[in-house]
Amino acid sequence: MTTEVSKQSTHRLHFKAMGSACEIVLAAESYSDVQAIAQFAIDEVLRIERKYSRYTDDSIIAKINQQAGKSPIPCDDETWALFQFATQLFEKSDGLFDMTSGVLRQAWDFKNPTLPQPEKLQELISRMGWQKVQLQNQSIRFSQEGMEIDLGGFGKEYAADRAANVLKEKGVNHGYVNLAGDMRFIGPKPSGEPWMIGIQNPRQRNEVIATLPMSHGGLATSGDYEKYFELNGKRYCHVLNPKTGYPVNYWRTVSVSAPIAVLAGCTTTMTMLKEEQGLSFLESTGFDFLAIDSSGQFHTKK
Amino acid sequence: MAAIKHHKQLPELGAALLSAAMALPCVMGVAHAESAPEKGTLSFKYLDYKERQQIADGASAGYGLSDSKSGASAFDDRIRVKATASKLVLPINSEWSMSGTLITDSISGASPAYHTEALTGMKDFRRAVDTSLTHYSPDGTFTLGVNHSGERDYVSRGVSLLATRATENKNTTWTAGIGVNRDQINPSNRIVFNETKNGTDLLLGVTQVMSMNDIVQFNLGYYKGHGYYSDPYKIYDERPRNRNHETLQTRWNHHFSELNATTRLAYRFYTDNWGIRSHTFDAEWVQNVGWGWSAAPAIRYYTQTAAKFYVEADPSLSPFPPNPPMGAQYFSEDQRMSAFGGLAFGMKLVKQINLDTKVDFKFEQYGQKGSWILSGKGSQGLAPFYARSIQVGLTHAF
Amino acid sequence: MHNRTFGILAFVLVTWVMQGCSMIQSVEPWQKGNLAKPEMTFDNDPLETGYKEHIYSSKEASSGGSGVGGGGCGCN
Repeated sequence: MTTEVSKQSTHRLHFKAMGSACEIVLAAESYSDVQAIAQFAIDEVLRIERKYSRYTDDSIIAKINQQAGKSPIPCDDETWALFQFATQLFEKSDGLFDMTSGVLRQAWDFKNPTLPQPEKLQELISRMGWQKVQLQNQSIRFSQEGMEIDLGGFGKEYAADRAANVLKEKGVNHGYVNLAGDMRFIGPKPSGEPWMIGIQNPRQRNEVIATLPMSHGGLATSGDYEKYFELNGKRYCHVLNPKTGYPVNYWRTVSVSAPIAVLAGCTTTMTMLKEEQGLSFLESTGFDFLAIDSSGQFHTKK
Repeated sequence: MAAIKHHKQLPELGAALLSAAMALPCVMGVAHAESAPEKGTLSFKYLDYKERQQIADGASAGYGLSDSKSGASAFDDRIRVKATASKLVLPINSEWSMSGTLITDSISGASPAYHTEALTGMKDFRRAVDTSLTHYSPDGTFTLGVNHSGERDYVSRGVSLLATRATENKNTTWTAGIGVNRDQINPSNRIVFNETKNGTDLLLGVTQVMSMNDIVQFNLGYYKGHGYYSDPYKIYDERPRNRNHETLQTRWNHHFSELNATTRLAYRFYTDNWGIRSHTFDAEWVQNVGWGWSAAPAIRYYTQTAAKFYVEADPSLSPFPPNPPMGAQYFSEDQRMSAFGGLAFGMKLVKQINLDTKVDFKFEQYGQKGSWILSGKGSQGLAPFYARSIQVGLTHAF
Repeated sequence: MHNRTFGILAFVLVTWVMQGCSMIQSVEPWQKGNLAKPEMTFDNDPLETGYKEHIYSSKEASSGGSGVGGGGCGCN
């Protein structure tokens, strides 16, 4: 393992996917190697984007949403596994993590700082609920019209894990995949030292408030600063509580390091959704974390 | 270091979420199986063990060591053991880990010279060291172990190899092991000199996940040994120079989700070429009571037949031991070779102090009586024997 | 008589195992939360197992069951 080190140097490749700036960092012998290997990983990210996007007409998500209240759609193994996982999360978060909560987007436009009408929210909430999703015989069906699902909750993290796995299979031992801040690490720097990852200050765009050393596993961050508007001194962010329809506001930012990026991502989202109970939830997972609450106080494990 | 935090090192919620995430296709890659623990662990346990033996009542006058009128049941102290054990488990990297255990016993008290009679004082100090190296691969593990223990009159050395292999879904795990021991006996009474006892044991086992709340294990054991098996400190003790035994053990753990409790049941059948057959039944109920505490009452029942060459006690000959039968090649008047039943009640309390540390306390009371045998006639004329043990332990992950 | 008992026991065991095999449920990785609890693991307290095996094998004629190796002693 150590003899390869001296011949490898670190390369960064940037690309755009899932509406965001992404990068692949890896150590390889020559630049052409890097291009070729990284392309496999980029292709995998784009494949997942096409298959699970809300926007493209031929994505399976679009097909399922079109059939809401009508016939069941058969799922391939990958899709079925993702829905099983979503069910697990729904149960373990007491219904807070709900893949059908995307319809709330129809009430909140973050480019337009206005609060939605309560009746509108109630109507949307009546069209939500993972318990209304029928999963059997490897098919999915919504029992109600107007329901929608999307993989926003862990789609990017899932893509990061799969892309990292592709790189691992191609022989990469040092590097990571970064999809707009959702990251999966394959191995430390060629020297053996960890990658130092800066966590953004939730109130100062270009400032870093902490640096985390990472060599393996996933790192995800959720915050109230990615998409939001402020009205009358109060911040309304894009993380919406499916039970009330309103944004959560207890945490400014939550970063979690877990063995898999999907796991890190779900944990940050669930912490944001659980608000005050988020801290004890984080501690009971045993994962390492860094979080800042609305009063600016830091909380960490490790 | 390991890419995956070992399931058992994460608290319950983390482990459950990790299990769920790992089910997604192609997110984990090669390191899907058991890998070296990410954290090291240090454990300590202190044992205080005390035996006592009931002195026969006045009905068999002259049989015993004290005035039988002094009380309805008087007791003589037998062996007292105070032991400290420490165990360190250290991961070396994601594929290797090592462990070391050190146990020191200080033994004092008295032990019978024949049956439950003629208690003779003794004092000894034993130290045992056990080290092992484990290799982890995607399908299974290999463990190489070396052990050594020494006391004034006895040295034991051994080497063992254990392999485990799991199926793809990790619901079935096969185990195979072999151990070789070479012991040296040099009793302080010089009855024999530089005797040896060599043995090999084999193990074959399977562990099967039966449901989300059930896991079962079967183990088949085989031992073959030759050498000095007699007890040099006992009067009239001449045992065969070979011993083979076979064991069949089955265990079942069942979790009751609604009650937040688990039952742990075990049964072991033992048979050997000395004519001894035994059954051991173990049952434990582990109850989580909140705030990191758990309480586990346990019961153990044991029954064994006597060795072919066991010489029954004869109180009418007291204070002289009965002679072995005329012309007998092998004979023993050791209580442990007799036919009896044993019953133990225990209680274990565990408190998880924080994510990395837990403390435990166990109390157990054991009794042995000829009349408690499961079937057949238990050995006669043996004073009931009792033992109580207290264990206090601490485990810390770092 | 030794062989007959062993034979009966083996028969009971085989029947029980075959019955048991039909009861095996396939458990997916995400369902193993309860199985990962320490009280559901075998030999989750090795020092306790060590003391227990040592105490009982020095007071009873039987030994063994689930391990290999382990030292001997001149226990009385």
